[in-house]
Amino acid sequence: MGNLIKIVEISKRFGDIVALENVSLDIGSGDIIALLGENGSGKTTLAKILYGIYTPDKGCIEINGICKILTSPAEAKNLGIVMVSQRPQLIDELTALENISIFLNTSVSRIHKNVENLLHEFNIDINVSKPVYTLSYTEKQYIEMIKALLAMPKLMIVDEATTYLPLSIKLKFFNMMKKILANGSSIIFITHKILEALEFSNRIIVLRKGRVVGRFNSDSVTVEELRKTMFEGFGETSTVQVTRQIKDVGRDRKTVLKIDNVSVLDEYSRRAVDNVSLDVKQGEISVIVGIAGNGQKELCEAIIGLRRVEKGRILFEDKDITKLPPSKRIAMGFHYIPEDPFRDGVFLNLTIAENLKVFSQRRIEKEVLLETISKLNIIPPNPIVKVYKLSGGNIQKVAISRIFINIPRIIIAYNPTRMLDEYSSKLVMSALTRFAALGGTALVFSEDLDEALAMGDKIAVIARGKIVKLYDQAMVERAELEKVMTSYD
Amino acid sequence: MIKISIVKREFPLFMSISLRIAIAILGLLIAVTTASFIFQQDLHTTLSLLTTSFLNLNVLRYVSVFLPTALGLIIAYNASLWNLGAEGQIVVGAMGATFIALFTPLGNIEYIGPATSLFFSSIVGALWAFIPIILKIYFNVNEALTTLMMNYIAYYLVDYLVYGPWRGKSVYGYPETDMIPIPCRLQRVVGYSFSLYPLLISLIFIVVIYFFLYKTRVGISIRALSTSSRAVELSGISSIKLAILAFILSGALAGFAGGTEVLVYHRKLVPGSKIGAGMGYISIMVAWLSSLNPIAAIVASYYVSTLYIFSLAIQIGSINIGDAVARIVIGAIFLLTIVSEFISKYKIVLRFEK
Repeated sequence: MGNLIKIVEISKRFGDIVALENVSLDIGSGDIIALLGENGSGKTTLAKILYGIYTPDKGCIEINGICKILTSPAEAKNLGIVMVSQRPQLIDELTALENISIFLNTSVSRIHKNVENLLHEFNIDINVSKPVYTLSYTEKQYIEMIKALLAMPKLMIVDEATTYLPLSIKLKFFNMMKKILANGSSIIFITHKILEALEFSNRIIVLRKGRVVGRFNSDSVTVEELRKTMFEGFGETSTVQVTRQIKDVGRDRKTVLKIDNVSVLDEYSRRAVDNVSLDVKQGEISVIVGIAGNGQKELCEAIIGLRRVEKGRILFEDKDITKLPPSKRIAMGFHYIPEDPFRDGVFLNLTIAENLKVFSQRRIEKEVLLETISKLNIIPPNPIVKVYKLSGGNIQKVAISRIFINIPRIIIAYNPTRMLDEYSSKLVMSALTRFAALGGTALVFSEDLDEALAMGDKIAVIARGKIVKLYDQAMVERAELEKVMTSYD
Repeated sequence: MIKISIVKREFPLFMSISLRIAIAILGLLIAVTTASFIFQQDLHTTLSLLTTSFLNLNVLRYVSVFLPTALGLIIAYNASLWNLGAEGQIVVGAMGATFIALFTPLGNIEYIGPATSLFFSSIVGALWAFIPIILKIYFNVNEALTTLMMNYIAYYLVDYLVYGPWRGKSVYGYPETDMIPIPCRLQRVVGYSFSLYPLLISLIFIVVIYFFLYKTRVGISIRALSTSSRAVELSGISSIKLAILAFILSGALAGFAGGTEVLVYHRKLVPGSKIGAGMGYISIMVAWLSSLNPIAAIVASYYVSTLYIFSLAIQIGSINIGDAVARIVIGAIFLLTIVSEFISKYKIVLRFEK
């Protein structure tokens, strides 16, 4: 196999943060390379350099024997490099179809059929003629994937976009990518999940603090070996355990949040949430699972106050909060970990310290601030760094810090561990379970069944805007949940 | 073939400061060359005119208007709320101060008279800014347009007063009010037309506003508003209240500047366009020249005031041309400022490829 693209000794710094140092990598045609590393190890930076979003301080990318520095995604695209970003890069006001057609530089009518066919193959139901802002985060990622697939790239870069998708869709995506590979293309995918790296790649490159610390062949390496390489000298990952109390399934627990026959409309006055009732009880974590686009985004936004409730009531500790603005609800003790941390969770142009100051309902002491940064292992641990310089996972950590620096009465979370590496997601999950054990209440929306099963005391399945099944955690198997989630399509 | 591409970059603090200084010097050069070319004056004379403008203490007369006004604009612009109505807010502020000084008994009391006048001028300025922000929040009307339009309303409102009910008894028919009582006037520095009190108050404002915007939760949230008002809501702070606060603070500071104009400079109310005299618009440039940083506003307002004085100095003899030249120069510097913003965020890469 010939070399398709060579990354030659690339270094990149952001101010005084070293993001990459002397990273070299040969990408052969037909390669599926997993870039593995914890949050902030430099994976996304490398991908963005390959895609022309960042220019390296040193080094270059060798394509067809010529050393180049790509200066724009357009240039990368002309060379056959396409990236599916961690955060969907779509123009919100345009429809999904228009977005794809702009990217492919062709007309809407010419691609409409192809897009529909692909969606059909994925078994995804999205109206591609709606503006993108009406879609959920995950649905936007589907559009990104389709956009990239249709471009038929020579090198496809997938930046954690697949990590949180339902298994069936992820498998289909990789199968379709393999079709592209048959023509001599290659794939780089970025992940912090060791198992995913092992399963889908043939080579694994481990990054730590901006350096390549290991190169492996996927069929001759163990999970333990990889974990050790990823985290060496970084602290024990196993120190954080998601412990859960055995709770008697309380009949007499107080209902903290009562969702009473709530219906919510989407942007097109369709009923996205249809007569949902749910009691969230004190000391419990209730998880709502479902395939993206089944009304969970709208329900979640209605509960936190970002979306008008069309019918029904929402009661918090017996007070009707249906009409209160979000800020009032937060001040009452709601804490919200949003679906899209970049937009709703943090202030990108402010520093870490300023973000935490705004999140904190009371005056925050400097010690608490520093302690939170180090507890969450935010990299770099420097409070005066602006948040837009952080990696996706670290931005999510900043967004989540709000539950550590406040005393929430109820936590509403949407995919709280999306983008987090193993250590951080365990930390967050254990924080949530501990919070519940101490009498707190949490309502988690999740598209990740492992997360749901690890934390949830109650698990509700949402499909087509209705809660179709409600389980006690102890009573349900993963397979059963998957079956129920998909059987309403 | 030449390939041009635009790449994001980040300047260290030292570089962005040097860039701004370079822009400032470049601006002065433009001012001098245009002026000397148009007036057929040799460069040397024009240059010495500029130097005198720089050292002329009367610069402070303009600083005391530009500084507080720009500080207010900095608050609003940090929240991405486009208040273009400082001009009108200055004018109504002047009206407020005149009202207290001339038509209430407070105007005859020393200390209390000027203090209440300035306080009231801030209130009127804040109220003037309150209207567009409410229209924006509840009716989704673009605040840039309404604030701009309201400048003219302010002009005509004051014109109506000075031509009509407020016209003075001893002004021989001129469109102006009587002079405000002596206890209500702020004392000028001897030989100049500015007073130290408003300057000192403005300096205090700088410290307070810097502290507010960078150290307090509410102030940081105002800056956060420009990134995401949803995220602000979701942190438990009402984005509506923040927007109103940012806007009325900005109106109040412009109103304060208008009040000092009456108490120090005019000492009576004159037609609106004479009070504002475009200074509200120039303050917009001061705010941007300081990169929306309250501390940098001192330097920026001094610099712009100098050019203002310079433009007045070259107007002698041919007022219309002089004014036009002044506007060209100020516009050119504003353009340079915008370009420098761009240069500090992006670099342009030129490459030659076959």
